[in-house]
Amino acid sequence: MSRLVRSELRKYFTTRMWWGMALAMFLVGALFAAFTGYFTLYGEMPVGEAMIRVRDAVPELTMVRMIYSGGIQFAYMLSLVIGVLSMGQEFRHKTISNTFLAGPRRHQVIFAKVAALIAILVVNAVAHIAGALVGGGVLLATAGESLFPDVAALGQTFALMALILIVWGLIGLGLGVLISNQVAALFVGIAFALIVEPIVAFALTFFEGWDVLAKFFPSQATTATLSLYSGMDPALGEAMGAGGDQLTWWAGALTLLAYAAIMTLIGLWLTRRRDIT
Amino acid sequence: MTEPALAERPAARPEAAIVVRDLSKKFGDFVAVDHLSFEVAPGRITGFLGPNGAGKTTTLRMLLGLIHPTGGSGLIGGIPYAQLSRPMETVGAALEATNFHPGRSGRDHLRVLAATHGIPDSRVDELLALVGIPAAARKRAGGYSMGMRQRLGLAAALLGDPHVLILDEPANGLDPEGIRWLRGFLRHLASEGKTILISSHLLSEVEQTVDDVVIIANGQLVRQGTIDELHGETTALIRTSNARGLIEALRAAGLEAGDEPAQGPGAVRVVTADLVRVGDIALAAGVPVHELRVLRTDLERLYFQLTESPENRNRNLADGSSADTPPPGALPHDLPPPDLPPPPADLPPGASRPDASEGSDR
Repeated sequence: MSRLVRSELRKYFTTRMWWGMALAMFLVGALFAAFTGYFTLYGEMPVGEAMIRVRDAVPELTMVRMIYSGGIQFAYMLSLVIGVLSMGQEFRHKTISNTFLAGPRRHQVIFAKVAALIAILVVNAVAHIAGALVGGGVLLATAGESLFPDVAALGQTFALMALILIVWGLIGLGLGVLISNQVAALFVGIAFALIVEPIVAFALTFFEGWDVLAKFFPSQATTATLSLYSGMDPALGEAMGAGGDQLTWWAGALTLLAYAAIMTLIGLWLTRRRDIT
Repeated sequence: MTEPALAERPAARPEAAIVVRDLSKKFGDFVAVDHLSFEVAPGRITGFLGPNGAGKTTTLRMLLGLIHPTGGSGLIGGIPYAQLSRPMETVGAALEATNFHPGRSGRDHLRVLAATHGIPDSRVDELLALVGIPAAARKRAGGYSMGMRQRLGLAAALLGDPHVLILDEPANGLDPEGIRWLRGFLRHLASEGKTILISSHLLSEVEQTVDDVVIIANGQLVRQGTIDELHGETTALIRTSNARGLIEALRAAGLEAGDEPAQGPGAVRVVTADLVRVGDIALAAGVPVHELRVLRTDLERLYFQLTESPENRNRNLADGSSADTPPPGALPHDLPPPDLPPPPADLPPGASRPDASEGSDR
């Protein structure tokens, strides 16, 4: 079993994708943190009649957290891509035959892929958070703000960011098994997260009682996990994109883990049955 | 070509290395493999032959646990592949020469597989040297020629030093030099006592290499036996101006002889491989001899007859999905049975052979 994990790790780190992806994660972290930093430190938002400076209206910790996690939405899309490709590439290049010849007990191969993917996503999360610290840190420092107003709370935020990236990667893995054409799988995954989910959430607001479901959707649960809008004036939060009522951070995290578990189980079930022609 | 190496190898022992029992696979309505049973003897090279679309690849993939059979079973050393504890050390398989990530080097491809069985990198390098691509293996596989891909596939199959090898069309896409290398390589492996099952849609490709053959068509067994059995009895051909006199003399000497009009005028066929004796009998009888040679069965033609007889004709041809086998005629029932009139012996090589590329063998 540990040998299968080792094989999967070798698989990932022997193509150029691994450092290209890590670099992308770093840059996404840095650029989005810098943009978010510029906006929250120097921007103004209309709240009711008045224009207020974001910097004055948001608690310091919330602001810093928002800056460092500015790129998370883009980053978890990259995680999704990593997850989809870890299965999709095998189908695309037909290496899946070799993989199952070397590991004919297919559930073991899937568990090995999950374990390796978690390790791979931790590497990418580190790259992403490092980028966020560089991009956000420069803006905070030049504005005279503290880089780490609350070390423990920010540590939790970074850990949760890593969790989000891991969970979206595992969702991607399940998707990659479900849809063996990697381009189609990527398209479905990204279209669902960016287009379908917001539309369905919006549509649900028209149905009494059903709108509570929206907060369990993957993107909403992701936002909730980071407690991005905590301690903020609700009107300002809404103006910045907080979607109505949100799960607590731990409920958000559990919801995401449930998605990852369901996708992995679907992947296991499908993989065991599939004919590799 | 004489094959001294073949004679030294052990004859088929009763316990088979590979047993395929009543194996069937349907893809929807399409029956790819139809109650197929055969055995592969240990320590021998068995050719697994059949035209494109006969079900060879599907059979091999079922044997290797990649495709779930609709019925029946395939066992390797008495065990289904999926239950082997260290599969790469029992069975080595090379299925397609395209199974590589183009961005990964050939060496890393092997290292990925080696990791699953804890095989060290030194073994990887050893095999790359054995198949003759040590330098190229450090480049990305996307740029490999077909020959290099086949060699890399063979190296992958050998990683765990298995005693059973299953090779699907290993000669596909190889140039003549590559095929010659492959023959030598397979003989080398066989001399180590390995059991080799090698599929091909061309009998001529493996004729000089294999000990046994299993011929299938339309997912069903057509013939199984040793290559010598397929050759049939060895006969000699004598051309003379006095066929009747020669036949009488040969029969008087206790040999089975008769005229052979298919070989042209004055041709006599006699069941023996002893040309010296035939010549002596002719001289003693005072019959002039214009030609005297061993008449080998044209295996390619025999194979073609076996696989193209009406009940075995490739069902894919009707819908054109295996168009690379030249169809003998648009309407099968318009044709005379192919095994009745023997076609001329000097059939141009390749005239009746499918194209080397095999895209639709499912």
